[in-house]
Amino acid sequence: MRRKALAVTALGIVSALALAGCAGGSSGGGSAAGETADLRVWLNGTDTPDAAREYLKTTFEKDHPGSTLTIEEQAWTGLVDKLTTNLSGSDSPDVVEVGNTQAAAFTSAGAFADLSGIQEEIGGDDLLPGFVEAGSYDGKLFAAPYYSGARLVFYKKDLLANAGLTVPTTLDQYVSNGVALAKANAGVSGIYFPGQDWYNALPYIWENGGEIATEEGGTWTSSFSSPESIAGLKQVQEVMTQASSAAKDGNETDPQVPFCEGVVANLSAPSWVKSSILAPADSAAPGCPDQEANLGVYALPGKDGGAAHVFAGGSNIAVSANSAHPELATDALKIMLSDEYQTILGENGLVPAKISLASTLGTDEVAKAIGEAAANAKLTPASPRWADVEASGALQDFFVGIAQGGDVQQLATALDQKIDGILNS
Amino acid sequence: MTSSVLLVREHESGGVQELPLGPRQKKNRGGSRARAGRFTPLMLLVPACLILIAVIGWPLVQLFVMSFQEFGRAQVFGAPAPFIGVDNYTRVLGDPQFWAVLGRSLLFCLANVITAMVLGTLVALLMNRVNRFFKALVSVGLLLAWAMPALTATIVWGWMFDTQYGVVNYLMEAVSGQDFSNHSWLIDPFSFFVVATIIVTWGAVPFVAFTIYAGLTQVPEEVLEAAQLDGAGGFQRFRLVVFPYLRSIFVVVIILQVIWDLRVFTQIFALQGIGGIKEQTSTLGVYIYQTSIGGGNYGTGGAIAVIMVILMVAISIFYVRRSLKEEEQ
Repeated sequence: MRRKALAVTALGIVSALALAGCAGGSSGGGSAAGETADLRVWLNGTDTPDAAREYLKTTFEKDHPGSTLTIEEQAWTGLVDKLTTNLSGSDSPDVVEVGNTQAAAFTSAGAFADLSGIQEEIGGDDLLPGFVEAGSYDGKLFAAPYYSGARLVFYKKDLLANAGLTVPTTLDQYVSNGVALAKANAGVSGIYFPGQDWYNALPYIWENGGEIATEEGGTWTSSFSSPESIAGLKQVQEVMTQASSAAKDGNETDPQVPFCEGVVANLSAPSWVKSSILAPADSAAPGCPDQEANLGVYALPGKDGGAAHVFAGGSNIAVSANSAHPELATDALKIMLSDEYQTILGENGLVPAKISLASTLGTDEVAKAIGEAAANAKLTPASPRWADVEASGALQDFFVGIAQGGDVQQLATALDQKIDGILNS
Repeated sequence: MTSSVLLVREHESGGVQELPLGPRQKKNRGGSRARAGRFTPLMLLVPACLILIAVIGWPLVQLFVMSFQEFGRAQVFGAPAPFIGVDNYTRVLGDPQFWAVLGRSLLFCLANVITAMVLGTLVALLMNRVNRFFKALVSVGLLLAWAMPALTATIVWGWMFDTQYGVVNYLMEAVSGQDFSNHSWLIDPFSFFVVATIIVTWGAVPFVAFTIYAGLTQVPEEVLEAAQLDGAGGFQRFRLVVFPYLRSIFVVVIILQVIWDLRVFTQIFALQGIGGIKEQTSTLGVYIYQTSIGGGNYGTGGAIAVIMVILMVAISIFYVRRSLKEEEQ
């Protein structure tokens, strides 16, 4: 009896072990012992140039023999969701790039390791102050500045000249230029403006005196429906419906495709888009390098001249709180904030995270435009919940509605209600 | 389950076969066999059950608990989660957006199940009729569609329906002679769901067709022939002979389709990234994702998910009970 029972129990255990064996087999080898590790670094989109990626990998692997560093490229779309799920797991990436407006969602949640201890070492007061603020919570630095990018206007010189127009000096002139160019060239976007591209809509609001949301006594008030914002949004609608033939519900990815096809006269886009436009014809994402002489660039003009308040896009870089190798991860982060690495970024049209390296941008007209635009750049509301507003897709839906020619006041009032609900929840 | 039942039956029949042995021996051996027969299948089931409990049961329990908690992004990273009773549920049920999403999901599910079932059955009947060469050709075509990951398929379909460079706009213009340049297929919710239905149905038809085709090969030829001699037309033969034979297969396939289409995620989520207005096109699965992971409200998202689970279980039980009753009759 007892032997039988034992045998039966053993059978159960053995079959359990057999199954466990199958499961164990597929997950592969165990963790590396000692100080070496296979570090995973998440970078977003194609923003970081290949030269910088190469420098990071070789420098890290040279400094830490036996360790490897793998860069895993993530899409900007849906990044907040992806970071939330991955940073909370035990299989978290070690170093992650996060959009500057999204950083607060993670610094406030304890997703990142505290970097205050190395803040002086990686640059201290030399780091871009707006980005230090975006990456700090409770007086501690959790996400270091990585790079900043300004939005510039790229344009086709011949199209502008053929229409007898000059580079605009005010926002109103920019809009009227766009409408005139679209009228003069059938099928061409005078200003390329896909419906989901809300980043490019912000300058119109800011230049007309509007704000996205303001805080008073701990309560946020979304103000898309204020008279100033409405004036700006009406201008956005004018551009979207009369100057742009981009998809009314399209997004802003790969603007170089229509630009190179020759159906875009003015393209407002991050500065690094220049390298996408001029990418060699035989690369994976070919551009149109033959258009280099015809490619002009200027900073978006403001309502009263000068550079407009544009959205200060850019990234912060952080070490995951769940990283299995926080020390090695911190070393990798230090490399990314070294003068050498940041110089590579500057030379490729990204504004370096250190003020002292601004000169690495060079002196060509792109660099000049970046300098002008960056000086007037503005950020989205500094609320930890702002990332949730972005992730909800409400802004995209709103501007698609505007692009379709919807009632601006009505749409804006509905959007304000939704954003108030998210920011104050 | 089926295999364990078979095991017991084998043991029982084994016992019967040992009848010629002497009475004393028979009693001893039969007794120990019966005991082993009772426990062996149970023990063999243990690992599978443990894995099922760990993989499916535990997350379900977690989800259920979470739906009664205040659970945001901070809780994901370790902050304690306070219990807030049924607040999440009252918030969800009081939100008109939820009811809109639910109604939309049910309609979408209905349209897709009907389309996939009708098309799948027609393809199966076709395969039953054509010669070997075309049967192989259709099978390979179906298998390719079945093997294509949903995300890849959606992105490729998205290219075809692209506003600026899509081949569909190009063809529509060539065929109809009207201006389809820059026509957006996704911006209008109805049109969005037509595109989504095409993608989902395209992916679902192979399964339906193969399963029903397999069933069709089991319908006795002579019954069909007799029906034909009695003057039954093609449709009558399908309705009165083939369908009753395949009823249980249809029930199972319909349940699976309902469940798959009600929780559809990939196709809708990927299409929303390509175009359209999220608020007007979200279905249950996508809405849960947007609420919990996108918006950081895991508690509320959990409540919606629990409601969805209850809905699915209700639908499944309804159909399973019906099919069991039919089997008994």
